[in-house]
Amino acid sequence: MFQARNLTKRYGRLTALSDVSFSVRPGEVLGLIGPNGSGKTTLFECLGGVLPLDAGSLEHDGQPLTDRVRASTLFYLPDSIVPWPAQPVRWALDFTLGFFGGRTFLRDEVVQRLDLQPLLDTTIGVLSKGQRKRALLAIGLLMPQPVLLADEPFDGLDLRQSRDVAQTLRAYAAAGRTMVLSIHQIKDAARVCDRFVLLSGGSIRGEGTLDQLASLAAARGGAATDDLEEVFLALT
Amino acid sequence: MPSREEQTSAVFSFSWLVVKEYRELVSSRAWWVFLLAMGPLVGVTFISAVRTYGEASGLNGTAVGVGEAFSPLIGIWAPTFSACEVAAVFLLPFVAIRLVAGDRQSGALKIEMQHPMPTFARVAAKAIVLLAGWFVASLAPLAAVLLWKSYGGSIYWPELATVMLGHVLNAGLAISLSAATASLTEHPSTAAILTLSVTVGTWILEFIAAVQGGIWERVAGYTPPAMVAAFQHGLIRLDVILIALALVIAGLGLAAVWLRLGVPVRRRVQESIALGALATGVVFACAFVSPSWDTSESRTNSFTESDEETLSRIHAPLRIDVHLAPEDPRRADLDRKAIAKLRRVLPKVQVQYISSTSIGLFEQTAPHYGEIWYELGGRREMSRATTAESALETIYDLAGVKPPLEKDDEIFRGHPLAVAPKGAAVVFYGIWPALVVASAWLVRRRQA
Repeated sequence: MFQARNLTKRYGRLTALSDVSFSVRPGEVLGLIGPNGSGKTTLFECLGGVLPLDAGSLEHDGQPLTDRVRASTLFYLPDSIVPWPAQPVRWALDFTLGFFGGRTFLRDEVVQRLDLQPLLDTTIGVLSKGQRKRALLAIGLLMPQPVLLADEPFDGLDLRQSRDVAQTLRAYAAAGRTMVLSIHQIKDAARVCDRFVLLSGGSIRGEGTLDQLASLAAARGGAATDDLEEVFLALT
Repeated sequence: MPSREEQTSAVFSFSWLVVKEYRELVSSRAWWVFLLAMGPLVGVTFISAVRTYGEASGLNGTAVGVGEAFSPLIGIWAPTFSACEVAAVFLLPFVAIRLVAGDRQSGALKIEMQHPMPTFARVAAKAIVLLAGWFVASLAPLAAVLLWKSYGGSIYWPELATVMLGHVLNAGLAISLSAATASLTEHPSTAAILTLSVTVGTWILEFIAAVQGGIWERVAGYTPPAMVAAFQHGLIRLDVILIALALVIAGLGLAAVWLRLGVPVRRRVQESIALGALATGVVFACAFVSPSWDTSESRTNSFTESDEETLSRIHAPLRIDVHLAPEDPRRADLDRKAIAKLRRVLPKVQVQYISSTSIGLFEQTAPHYGEIWYELGGRREMSRATTAESALETIYDLAGVKPPLEKDDEIFRGHPLAVAPKGAAVVFYGIWPALVVASAWLVRRRQA
């Protein structure tokens, strides 16, 4: 669906991303996995167009990804933001739906799946981290773009909520939505993702399904395992 | 070329954005504090102006004759609306910075900027809402207008509208400057310091202009305080309006450039330099635009109609050499009472200021200091008087035309009004704050 080729981003002397390349396939849930500081958020911000790249390119169906095509293809949901803190959740959903021309027909369903009904009249600024994360995920799911880039979608959620959100994301992926999720908790990633991109120190250490990554880890001298955590440790 | 569907969608998105900016504005405490302060600010200036006007018009035994020279424009509207100037400099920027920087601070910008809408449209939505907010705040001086009317005061709407236009342009400048600084800086407090620094910079420029004269004087004529002063005298200058609009657009453009977080900084710097160069060029070109309109009832900025008619028959270029230092009060007198009026009637007037010091204190004994030389059609004549009458007399003499007879109906008699500002304190210190607090409570309750 789209390909990232040799993406590089520097902050002064610090190289946050170095020649990062990977591809995203239609309808899949791709997990971008890496420890804190590995460059996941930087990569997402570059993909979302809110941070400029120093080098590299993005392609959509073999063509360079222009700003206009990016706007109609990708929606990036940042982590650790408190947008429109004085506005209630209900209004934030209505605003983003109206502003972006989102999937209004899904509104009630998404609100129900993410258990947002009791929070609709609460202002975003007073929501807990987990509640805010669910409200933001609702915004992401309602956006019209076919690809959703969500940075740390499980951050701040408890066990039950993580499971419910994972099911919700899988359900919309099954309906054709492509998801790229940045996740630092590997267990969460294993639960929801079809394929994985392992990122460490700003570089890609592996890309593929769990089986493919396990084979890669074994080829590099690691023990044979189908545990994503072990595979990640072997490859990074 | 966008399709009709895309255009409709863009308009729809823009309207959503305007609604969002409105909600963000009314949910900010800065806005309500600004609105709250407007009442007492206007109240102080209005009450003081009415009292002074009343005293000069004969209240408390002062001679009635003094009041005849008064026009509400100078006596009431200029001081009352000066509260708007204070608000535009010291209050409005904080409201504007909060609205522009808030999106970046909360992270909302990262979501909103993914919409393909041009960034300038996004900044324009904020500017529209802020300007609408300014009009709401302008209800305070409008209350003063109603009070003045209720006292039986005279209102000459063209001059009042001119004063209001000047303050709207000034507010526009404050909004665009604040938007630019809020976009350029990472933190609102830095933006506030930068905005106030620019304001202080314009004051320094005015000081330098007063001391140095020359090109500084010309440039200082386009600072917000100078611009407002012209409008407060009932003078609409097309060059000032065009320059103010150019600066407003440039400021909003700069804000739009720096809100594009996904564009490399080097490119944003290049675009800012190009924008600055373009704005400078436009401002320079607009400075040569000459049409102006005197909307004051007292013709503060014009000679009498008979004089203007006579002057319009003089086609030879007029040159005036003024041997007065920039800080000499006689020069300010001559500028305001004669030269500014001449420039509006005679397109070919050329004025040269000659002095070797800034204050002229030590030039008094110089051979030509204090002389004003008029040259027209090869003839020269010297005068030391700085009044409009003496300037006209000299010019008529040089041109060989007969001075027009003074018509009695051309003399502005003024509108003296000896009245106390009854009820004004209740309106501005009681009702206005109560209304603002009640509105804040109602609006925030409705939004929640």
